[in-house]
Amino acid sequence: MSREAAVARVLAAFDEGTWRAETARLVAIPTESQRPERREALERYLTEGVGPLFERLGYTLERHENPTGGGPVLLAERDEGAPLTVLSYGHGDVIRGQEGRWSDGMDPWTVEERDGRLYGRGVVDNKGQHLAQLMAVEAVVAERGRLGVNHRFVIEMGEENGSAGFREVVEARRARFDADVFFASDGPRTEIGRPNVTLGNRGVLNFDLVCRFREGGHHSGNWGGLLANPAVVLANAIAAICDGRGRVRVPGWDTGPAPAPVRRALRGVRREAGPSAPAIDPDWGAEGLSDIERVTAVPTFEVLAMTAGDPARPVNAIPPEARAACQLRFVTPLTKAEVLPALRAHLDASGFARVEIAPPDPANAIAFEATRTDPDHPFAAWMRAAVDRAPWDRTGGERCAVLPNSGGSNVTEVMQHVLGMPTVWLPLSYAGCRQHAPDEHVPLALMREGLGILASIWWDLGDPETGYRKEGA
Amino acid sequence: MNRETAQQAMAEYFDAGGFEDDLARLVAVPTESQTTEGLPHCRRYLEDEMVPAFEAMGFETRIFDNPIPDCGPVLLATRIEDPALPTILGYGHGDTVRGMDERWTRGAGPWRTAREGDRLYGRGTADNKSQHWINMKALGAVMDARGGRLGFNVKWIIETGEENGSKGMREVIESDIDAFRADAFIASDGPRVRVDRPTVSLGARGALNFDLSCDLREGAHHSGNWGGALADPVAILSHAIASIVGPSGRIEVEAWRPEPPSDMVRELLKDVTIEPGPDGPRPDPDWGEPGFSPAENIYAWNSFAVLAMLAGTPESPINAVQPKARANCQLRFIAGTDPADILPGLRRHLDAHGFSQVAIEDAPAANRGGYAASRTEPDDPWALMVRRSLERSTGVAPAVIPQMGGSICNELFTDLLGMPAIWIPHSYTACSQHAPDEHVILPLCREALQVMAGLWWDLGEEAPGRRA
Repeated sequence: MSREAAVARVLAAFDEGTWRAETARLVAIPTESQRPERREALERYLTEGVGPLFERLGYTLERHENPTGGGPVLLAERDEGAPLTVLSYGHGDVIRGQEGRWSDGMDPWTVEERDGRLYGRGVVDNKGQHLAQLMAVEAVVAERGRLGVNHRFVIEMGEENGSAGFREVVEARRARFDADVFFASDGPRTEIGRPNVTLGNRGVLNFDLVCRFREGGHHSGNWGGLLANPAVVLANAIAAICDGRGRVRVPGWDTGPAPAPVRRALRGVRREAGPSAPAIDPDWGAEGLSDIERVTAVPTFEVLAMTAGDPARPVNAIPPEARAACQLRFVTPLTKAEVLPALRAHLDASGFARVEIAPPDPANAIAFEATRTDPDHPFAAWMRAAVDRAPWDRTGGERCAVLPNSGGSNVTEVMQHVLGMPTVWLPLSYAGCRQHAPDEHVPLALMREGLGILASIWWDLGDPETGYRKEGA
Repeated sequence: MNRETAQQAMAEYFDAGGFEDDLARLVAVPTESQTTEGLPHCRRYLEDEMVPAFEAMGFETRIFDNPIPDCGPVLLATRIEDPALPTILGYGHGDTVRGMDERWTRGAGPWRTAREGDRLYGRGTADNKSQHWINMKALGAVMDARGGRLGFNVKWIIETGEENGSKGMREVIESDIDAFRADAFIASDGPRVRVDRPTVSLGARGALNFDLSCDLREGAHHSGNWGGALADPVAILSHAIASIVGPSGRIEVEAWRPEPPSDMVRELLKDVTIEPGPDGPRPDPDWGEPGFSPAENIYAWNSFAVLAMLAGTPESPINAVQPKARANCQLRFIAGTDPADILPGLRRHLDAHGFSQVAIEDAPAANRGGYAASRTEPDDPWALMVRRSLERSTGVAPAVIPQMGGSICNELFTDLLGMPAIWIPHSYTACSQHAPDEHVILPLCREALQVMAGLWWDLGEEAPGRRA
């Protein structure tokens, strides 16, 4: 009975094909949360997909309706009367399958192994990752006879739809979801060669900028020079929001240099996205920062889409309107509520009172707070040490990397701001995994390594010798 | 039979509904020149509508096939009374911009005229079917009033590719240049400066369309994983546009800033105010070149427009750094801007401002434009004669604009054929030409029929002598 035995047990299960077979079963349920007609699949994922896996391990299940009408929330609970309670999370929904756009006619709902990778919609985002967590828990329970901690595992079915309603579900019954610490897996490692813990996320807020100057287009010969051109004004406004290399120029968005522990944690952390990733632009973004700092430690502004006139068939007219779908990714301590007032003030001060800030496309109205657990927090430090005790290929580096927050955005705000606990993610994928695109995949060796690390961590969490003790306990 | 008889005949023609009936028939021919479906209709417009009308007035007609593939034919109608008399060259275009059927909010769509109050809606009502028809009908009225004579010779071009850049027009004229020669060009297109102000326009701004493109990589990349690491082409293109034209419309490209208008031009433009009409858009007073009046901005200065712009999928945006962005752009420019240096000058400007990633590319083939700028001097004898005639018919001195804001093939007449070119527009600025809900103001058409009858009458009596 040992950490090594628990690790060996989960790796043996992986080598017997358990992870692959269960992932295949889960991927086959087409849980696209952005398509209302998939509602039945969202339900089925809980009742037939993950529900039985939890029940086999003695979890009790609670299904919570989503007040927004989106996918339900499952809370699985396993209480051992232990001193520490851990909250885990996964999401069973996926983005659209994008059938027909996968290489060689692969079907997103049928996993396929090629060149040591497993392909399928959800293999990394997030079905394969919460399955890995569950398998690690199972290995530890089997080896030790108990987990050693109380466990609450929440499965959300609307993450790819902006987690609409998730916060409300939790807020309405805080005590049911409360725990001492949060530990889960989602997203990619920052370096494919070594694990990292991720302690939070950048915030995100989508909004539109609109110059709607008048009704109808007007002949550019008769009116060019008389009528303000909305596309020209909007281009100038965008140029006032970010400079020529993309650095934000809105004073209220500037959160200044990252705190010293964050900068310390990021020292030596690289970004590796694999061979098919786009080349990073050296002349873009903040100067004097590393690549990882540029995508996690500073706010970034993007124009997601822009349109004016009739770009499919331009005519010689001053267009009546120009619109840009925009996005700010931001870092703590800036909050969602501060983003648009700061932008409004900046636009007004820069002479762009005519540029309207409008709600984004409802189908893409994502908004998450920025979160970050202090890298020096005892749970963050404990988790890093636990990863360092785990078995993994150390050719990529000796120690687990620490990412104070990811560049992306997710529901961590609910755990940090609603429930108030330290949050640690251990991502099991890598940046080249094509999540949110055709050909989503995971290298099997990477997933196998991740399972071993998870089993080691769960062993240590429930071990009286090594286990994490919350402050004051 | 006299000047007034001819004008009276026009009033009767209009009041009896003849004008509306005729225009309805012309508009019903869907002569889009920017679509291949429109091409057969362009030919039909010439063969079934224009040729019979000209032949009824004693013209000989000749249709030139356009030497450029997928471009519409050109009609030349000729009526020589006496080779010793002066010859006028008339002009019109039978083609229209696209119908934009689904976007009309008034009338009965583009291809059926519909009257609402004083307005007659339909594609081509203003641009240009009513305008050449008015001039043709007035010519016929004068002929009738003079007992079958005009007192001058007439040649008349109806082209069917104006909205597609008048491609092939130059080649057609050059193929038999003597057939097109005349002493003065008089035609109608575009808007008056104000709905109630007769206008003489002596030239046209040129137009050059081009695309600005910023294409950085293949595919979009998740903004959470890549935002901050990958350059945003939309932001770069926005900065490039902002460097070309500032937030108040001032052109910053050095090669696009010609000599400011002369004192004579400025004096003429003092008398010109821009009146957009009841439903017209409000001119933005702070837009354009600082210190220039609206009239100077549109009739005597260059203007840059972003006609359309696209990045990403605006109908359903996704959270990704985009790979590319494109803006369809246009420069309208006055005579005095070096047309050969417009794009090289822009390239120098973009490079000097660090936008080497922004490419200048061809505009879409269906909207490539391409007109030179040209103008006739305001004190030319033909211009003075036309101004007198219009004042006699309407009781007010016409506004004189040195060149209309829009672009037409005017340089073919001033430069290739070497004659003064005088335009007498019959529409008004808020007519929505090139947009849904194009319309004409019917009382203005009625007045224009009489103005043109007066002008054709006067030309038979006091046309300046044959030019050398």
